[in-house]
Amino acid sequence: MTPRPGLVMEVDGSTPPLLFWNGEGFRLERLPEGTRVVYAPEPLAPLADPIAAIRHALEHPVGDMEPLSALLRPGMRLTICFDDVSLPLPPMRSPDVRQLVIEQVLELAAEAGVDDVVLIAALALHRRMTEPELRHALGDRIYDAFAPHGLLTQHDAEDPEGLVHLGRTEQGEDVEINRRAAESDLVVYVNITLVTMDGGHKSIATGLASYRSLRHHHNPHTMRHSRSFMDAPASELHSSNWRMGRLIAESGIRVFQIETTLNTDTFPAQFGFLQRREWEWTLRDRATYAATAAALDRMPARLARQIFHAIRAPQAMLSVQAGEVEAVHERAIASVWRQQGVAVEGQTDVLTMGLPYICPYNVNSIMNPILVACLGLGYFFNLYRGKPLVREGGVLILRHPTRPEFHPGHHPSYIDFYEQVLTQTTDPIEMHKVYEESFATDPWYVHLYRTGHAYHGVHPFYMWYWCAHALEHLGRVIVLGGNPSAVRRMGFSPASTLQDALEMATDVVGPSPTITHLHAPPLLMADVS
Amino acid sequence: MKALVFERNVARFLAARAVSRLGSGRAAGIGPLRLADVEPPELPGEGWVHVRPLLSGICGSDLATIDGQSSRYFEELVSFPFVPGHEVVGTLEGPARSAMGSSLEAGTRVVLEPVLACAARGIDPPCSACAQGNTGACERVAFGHLRPGLQTGYCADVGGGWSTAGIAAHSSQLHAVPDHLSDNDAVTVEPLACAIHAVMSAGLREDDLVGIVGAGTLGLATVAAISTLSADGYIPAPRATLVGGRYAHQRHFAEELGATAVFPEDQLARAIRRHCGSKVIGGPSLRGSVGSRLSSGADIVFDCVGSAGSIEASLAMTRPRGRLVLVGMPGRVHLDLAPLWHREIALVGSYAYGIEPGGRHAFDLAFEVAARCRAGRLVSATYPIDRFEEAIAHAGAAGRRGAIKITFDLRGAPNRQGGRQ
Amino acid sequence: MKRGLDFPLARPTWPANVERPAPKRRVGLAFDHGWSRRYPARLARALLLDNVTRPAIRLVTATTTRGVEYLEHLEAPVIFAANHASHLDTPLLLHALPARFRHKSVVGAASDYFFDRTWKALWWSLTLAAIPIDRNRVNRRSGDDAARIIEEGWNLIIFPEGGRTADGWAQPFRGGAAYLAHRTKRPVVPVYIHGMFRVLPKSLRDDRPAGGSGSEMRHRGLRRSPTSVLFGPPLRLEEGEDARHFAARIERAVAQLAEEVRSDWWGARRAGADAAMTALRGPDVSPWRRAWARDATPRRSPSRGGNWPVS
Repeated sequence: MTPRPGLVMEVDGSTPPLLFWNGEGFRLERLPEGTRVVYAPEPLAPLADPIAAIRHALEHPVGDMEPLSALLRPGMRLTICFDDVSLPLPPMRSPDVRQLVIEQVLELAAEAGVDDVVLIAALALHRRMTEPELRHALGDRIYDAFAPHGLLTQHDAEDPEGLVHLGRTEQGEDVEINRRAAESDLVVYVNITLVTMDGGHKSIATGLASYRSLRHHHNPHTMRHSRSFMDAPASELHSSNWRMGRLIAESGIRVFQIETTLNTDTFPAQFGFLQRREWEWTLRDRATYAATAAALDRMPARLARQIFHAIRAPQAMLSVQAGEVEAVHERAIASVWRQQGVAVEGQTDVLTMGLPYICPYNVNSIMNPILVACLGLGYFFNLYRGKPLVREGGVLILRHPTRPEFHPGHHPSYIDFYEQVLTQTTDPIEMHKVYEESFATDPWYVHLYRTGHAYHGVHPFYMWYWCAHALEHLGRVIVLGGNPSAVRRMGFSPASTLQDALEMATDVVGPSPTITHLHAPPLLMADVS
Repeated sequence: MKALVFERNVARFLAARAVSRLGSGRAAGIGPLRLADVEPPELPGEGWVHVRPLLSGICGSDLATIDGQSSRYFEELVSFPFVPGHEVVGTLEGPARSAMGSSLEAGTRVVLEPVLACAARGIDPPCSACAQGNTGACERVAFGHLRPGLQTGYCADVGGGWSTAGIAAHSSQLHAVPDHLSDNDAVTVEPLACAIHAVMSAGLREDDLVGIVGAGTLGLATVAAISTLSADGYIPAPRATLVGGRYAHQRHFAEELGATAVFPEDQLARAIRRHCGSKVIGGPSLRGSVGSRLSSGADIVFDCVGSAGSIEASLAMTRPRGRLVLVGMPGRVHLDLAPLWHREIALVGSYAYGIEPGGRHAFDLAFEVAARCRAGRLVSATYPIDRFEEAIAHAGAAGRRGAIKITFDLRGAPNRQGGRQ
Repeated sequence: MKRGLDFPLARPTWPANVERPAPKRRVGLAFDHGWSRRYPARLARALLLDNVTRPAIRLVTATTTRGVEYLEHLEAPVIFAANHASHLDTPLLLHALPARFRHKSVVGAASDYFFDRTWKALWWSLTLAAIPIDRNRVNRRSGDDAARIIEEGWNLIIFPEGGRTADGWAQPFRGGAAYLAHRTKRPVVPVYIHGMFRVLPKSLRDDRPAGGSGSEMRHRGLRRSPTSVLFGPPLRLEEGEDARHFAARIERAVAQLAEEVRSDWWGARRAGADAAMTALRGPDVSPWRRAWARDATPRRSPSRGGNWPVS
């Protein structure tokens, strides 16, 4: 059966209750008749032989670029950069695409006799990956060949020795990136373009950049003018990255970009009901839903979290393209659209969504309230091209428990952001002006970022800026089932039932509003006309 | 006339000690405290006068005594049976001179300075501390013509505040209440004076970072003392006063009383870390791991709780060579003093008051602070004396029940249990 | 407060002003291990080997053994010279040996590592019949000891590299095995052990990403992986051959076995000495390429049936 495209359906009297994600769990909610529901397209068939496809892509690059084997010679400095633990989501089953691609790149490098090879996890201001995470992303063979010799490194945006300032763009943006990459004869970037935001010049201009460089596009102004940041032409975030990327190319750094895309086969078979339309649930689906939902409600949050974070997605490679950055990216984006695009007609007054247990910044970690806001108002709100799914002044209803729990090792500055900044202001511009710098330069956060596994001190601010467009656009944000004090601290309204939430929404958008439910994940991109 | 009398009774003491493990203040009914008919205490001599209490506060040290958790250190500094109550505002039953030397008419409202120092004990010449006005440091509280008792409320001879029979007060103990202060304001003057003494003798310097652990009565009084006294130029202004309080209403008051920023108690160390730009030794969580502490810390920390846990937490957030002031009364605690030794932290106690640096009496300043801060707000509820079990249970659970200060109302008015105001 | 007993119930303290003789050290090369070759120790060891060690080895690795036929008509005692990648090499080799060798072999073990404490010395002598060998220089005493034990009829297992490899490729062989063969005129059986580096490598202090604190790094334990043990034809000292020349021959013989794992028996015959040596010692290139080449080889490792789950 060929995979079916996305679906926009209208709830009628025969529609069963629909699935809402609820952090480490889910709920079935009966939506009012007339509600539109946007379903993701079904997973497309993956490449039959990914390794052959990778080899082919390396030998037949797109854009102005020679085949990889022609670029490799003995005595050269080769640097291979790869996306960090934030991609893909959920972590995919072994072997990870990064492992598949880098193994092929290294086979070529070994054949060509390239001795000086270094791997860099392009993690920007994210936390450093742990050994098990690196082994999962790269495979044991690569890990064991490079890590013991110190050749498997993780980008350090706070290492003055390890950064080089390449210059300023015509708009005065500093471009400062990883020194090893900048001083290599060839940089191979191995990318996973999970959503349309990823990849392109953003890979290096963001992934290998310093705080000094990142602050030019990671700020409330840029994020408010990225509408959405999932749509590069309309995204100020991307314009800035593209200017930087071109400056990087002009400064003589040769980048061989490899972008891979994945299908949206997000959950393993036992959780199959999570990516099936409710009216098509089989007896088995219904039984597993009932059993899982009941069990999750009864178990401690910790255990539920462990179970969900152990999920490895059966996602498989949809396409791989290599060569010059922009030509590669264009093809990768087209592939993502083919998988995730859903045409939606017109905006809505009220947008509802259930938020899952994971976002890019809490892999193997805890989803704290700031990340909940970021996932809902940053990522899911922005899964659009054209116009936002919800009209200006409309209401967004999120479902998530939003417990004020933090991972002290991964998110130390988030705790202080929550207790010391959000208690004073929720305005991105205000916090940018008053608090950002003191968090960004706090020596303890820098220490934990560089030597532990902590996100950079400034990262919670970026998460809040990620929400800036939505915060400005929306009339109200209601968190369904959220911890009231955490929800209020972020300036949102808590509600205990969907009916209450919809009732509260009418205060803002008037009676009998139009409602749209975003049925994700699996991921989708709404093409709103 | 009725009074709550605390007697020496080993069986009831042990019972109270056992029951109080379930929660502070629960032992009032079975402990050595009982409501009794009493006569007004005899005046011990010249310079003494009867004071009829109006309001009389329940203090943390009273609770510790009732719970049987008080340190045995005080055994020789009290005499039984005594009537507790040392946070007293009352009226004079006859003319008297005040501690400041002015003459007061009968009926004047006064606040009692409870310390029974050399003057009250008829010791002449006074000890060196009393000679300098530091009555809090008096060396003779177990001597003289009174029986032992460090304060009114712990001495068998003078009565105490939890009584309708009145107190025998020496003129050295009397401070006239300015008319613009309400009874509620006035009953907070004694704890405010404690906090003022702690703050004024802490050696605060310009731009110091100050941490306050605990936001009960003493914690809030310390906040009020720092913000008011620094605004009036009695002490240098700290860079920031950060307060950790367990309960939301405590944090609300701390903010109103002038704290720079207020946090849940478990977040105070993190906030201090942010303000002093220090690192953390012992893991990023700052909690749970043994030996976890700030690499630097606050210049001065006021511990207004006095438990082993609060003192250890305070040590972990005091900078090397900083100062940790114990404002809350600790008992017998089990502490790791390695940080005290290694970081050369000065651990100092703070008890009572006297003539403070600058030459003014702590009570004098406390009247000002009470007026400026409308400190009467901290009186959350008042109880008649015959409902003492409820009152003490309320005081024992003040934080959880949204209260700060619980007092006995001895004005003869009907039951006046009020809200927060 | 005083605790414990007083003299004379407790040991006397030594007066500070009376000279005290240096304590006798009974560890290292001086360790007396004669008891470990007597009957009670042999019985205990045999029971342990057959009932605990060998089943345990079978749990962590599926072993292919080749060349046992060379041992069939070989007259004991002999010297087994093997490459060395893991602490488990010795149990694995004992596991692969025919019983008549298995229960009559001593193992040369580094005196500074296995014999530096009395309890360790006792343990290793008992369980593996280990004898202390000075791995850093030719030591008259350890040489004499080993030669005497061989002449008493015991086989000797020795790892001429003098220690485990850090990167999976063999290190240059030292001359101990050849020296002992020269002295005792006994044959040397070359042995190549393949795959143990994956099962339990030597743990490296910097086996983690650069700049790491290491605090959250997992200590790597056992990993199940197939292994093979290859015995080569016994080598005998030729007329007039000196120990140095013989040592080189032993190393080449082990290298040829390594090449046999990489390609096959016939390939190993045809490969030149240099190619074989590369199969043993690894290519002379940058560290990552050495590691890359090392992990490429198991794809062609001899395996039985092929249904063993390759990790």
